[in-house]
Amino acid sequence: MTAEVHKYTIAQVEALELAPAAEHEKLEGWVPDLATEDDLRHALSQALDYRGDVTLTLKNGERIEAFIFNCQSGPTLAESFLQYFTPTSPEKRKVGYADIARVEFTGKDRAAGKHWEDWVKAYNEKKAAGEKNIALHPEAL
Amino acid sequence: MAIPISQMWTVSTYVLKKRLSGTKRYPLVLMLEPLFRCNLACAGCGKVQYPPHILKKQLTPEECFAAVDECGAPMVSIPGGEPLLHPQIVEIVQGLIARKKYIYLCTNALELKRRLPEFTPSKYLTFSVHLDGQREHHDYSVCREGGYDIAVEGIKEAVKRGFRVTTTATFFDGTDPNSVRSFFDEVMGMGVEGVVLSPGYSYDKAPDQNRFMGRARVRRLFRAILSNRKPTWKFNMSPLFLEFLMGDRTYECIPWGMPAFNIFGWQKPCYLLQEGYADSYKELLETTNWEEYGVASGNPKCANCMVSCGYEAPAVIEGFTTLKGFWAMVRGTFSTYPDQQALKLLSEPAPHGPATLVNIESPERSLEETHA
Repeated sequence: MTAEVHKYTIAQVEALELAPAAEHEKLEGWVPDLATEDDLRHALSQALDYRGDVTLTLKNGERIEAFIFNCQSGPTLAESFLQYFTPTSPEKRKVGYADIARVEFTGKDRAAGKHWEDWVKAYNEKKAAGEKNIALHPEAL
Repeated sequence: MAIPISQMWTVSTYVLKKRLSGTKRYPLVLMLEPLFRCNLACAGCGKVQYPPHILKKQLTPEECFAAVDECGAPMVSIPGGEPLLHPQIVEIVQGLIARKKYIYLCTNALELKRRLPEFTPSKYLTFSVHLDGQREHHDYSVCREGGYDIAVEGIKEAVKRGFRVTTTATFFDGTDPNSVRSFFDEVMGMGVEGVVLSPGYSYDKAPDQNRFMGRARVRRLFRAILSNRKPTWKFNMSPLFLEFLMGDRTYECIPWGMPAFNIFGWQKPCYLLQEGYADSYKELLETTNWEEYGVASGNPKCANCMVSCGYEAPAVIEGFTTLKGFWAMVRGTFSTYPDQQALKLLSEPAPHGPATLVNIESPERSLEETHA
C-alpha cells in the first residue's frame, strides 16, 4: 500500500453500504512511455494487476511474453524484480526492473466482456429466442 | 452440532499448543489451490481470469504435500478453479488423509457424482459443494441452467455413499434473505452436515466491482438470515464468526490464519488479495507487512472484507483459548438467536441490487418460516 492511498477510518468502514470499487483501466494494447523510473514502476504495477499477458523487451533486446504474478519493488531498480510465467516454460522466471526497456500490454484482457450485465443481457436474449439449457462455457484451452 | 467432535478436538488442541508455546502467528486452514481451471464460466468471477497457459498449470501432489507439511495447518481447504478437474486430485486427497488433515474439497459438483467411486469416505474428507442459493439463484449465479440439479444429484449420491458433505454459498448485494432461509431448509433436507456461507469479496481482478456489499449492508443481511434460526439448520462454521457476520462481534483480520498456496507460491497477504508471492510459508510470515492489512489498517482493499479467510480464524482462536469465548461458542451452537428486529427485516420488500437483475420468482414466504 503506498502512502498516497486514501485510508479509511474504522467508523467509515463499518458504515459502508457498498464496497469501494477498484477502477480497471482499459490496458489491452497499451504501450506505456517509460521516460522515468516512476513510469517503469507504474507500468509494472499495472502489469501485475493486468488479467492477461504482457510483452517485456529487455535492454539486451530479448522479448519475453509473460504473465506477471509477482513484483517486488525495492528502493532502487537494481533491488527490484518481478516473477512471471511464459506460455511455453513450466518454471517461474525472474527479471530485474533495471533490465527492462519496454512493456507492452499485448495479451487479451481475460476479464473483458465478462460482466454480470453481459450475462443477464445474453440470458434474456437467448430465453426470448426459446433456447434451452442456457449457459456460459469456459473458453477452450 | 455440524462439526464432528474429533475435528473440534484436533483444532482446539492445536490452537492451545500454539498458544502455550508462545507462537504468535500460525495457520488454522491452508487454502490449497491446485489449479485455476474451472468447468464453469461464472460472470464476474475474480478467481479464474487468467490466460490459457496459466489455466493449464497445476500443482503436483508433491508440491501440495510440501506446502501442507511446511505450514502444519490441521485443516486444508481445496478451492480453485475446480479441484475435480485436477488429474491427480485423488492422490492429493489420499496424501492429505494419510497426514490426518481435515480436508474441505470445494467443488461445483458438476463432476462429483461421476468421480465419487474414486474416493473413500473418511472423517477427514468433506465435499464442500458450491450452491449459491435456491435453484434459480444458483443457476443464474453460476451462469448455467441445470447447474443446481447436477450439483444436488452429486450431493445426494455423496451423502448416500457416506461422505461428509457441506454446501458453500456466497452472497452479493441484492440477496433475498427469505430465499436464503428457504435454501437452508432445502439443503438440510438433503442430509448435508452443515452450511458454509460468506459475503462476496470485491476481488481486484473481478470484472464487476459493483455487486459487493459494504460492512453495514453485510451485517444487515446476515442478521436477517441468521437470526430466528430453525433448530434443523446446522452451520459448518464457528458460531462466533457467524455472530461477527451478524454484527454482534468485532474481530481484527488475521490473514496468516488461513494462508493460500497456489501455482504462483504463497500468496501475500491472503487468499483474496494478490500483492506478491513468497516461496515458503516462513518467507510469507517474515516478509509480509501484516500491519498494512485488515480494517484497522484503513487499507481500502480491506474495507468491505468480512470473509472467513481473515475473520474466522480469530473467532476460532477466541473460542478455544478463552473461557468466555468457549462458553459463547457452546451457547451459539445451540441458540436460535431470536430477534424481533430481524423478523422485520425479513418482511421488508425484496432488496434491489445487481443480484436481482434477473427476474427470479421469489419463493413463497411462510409466516411459520419467518417465526421459526
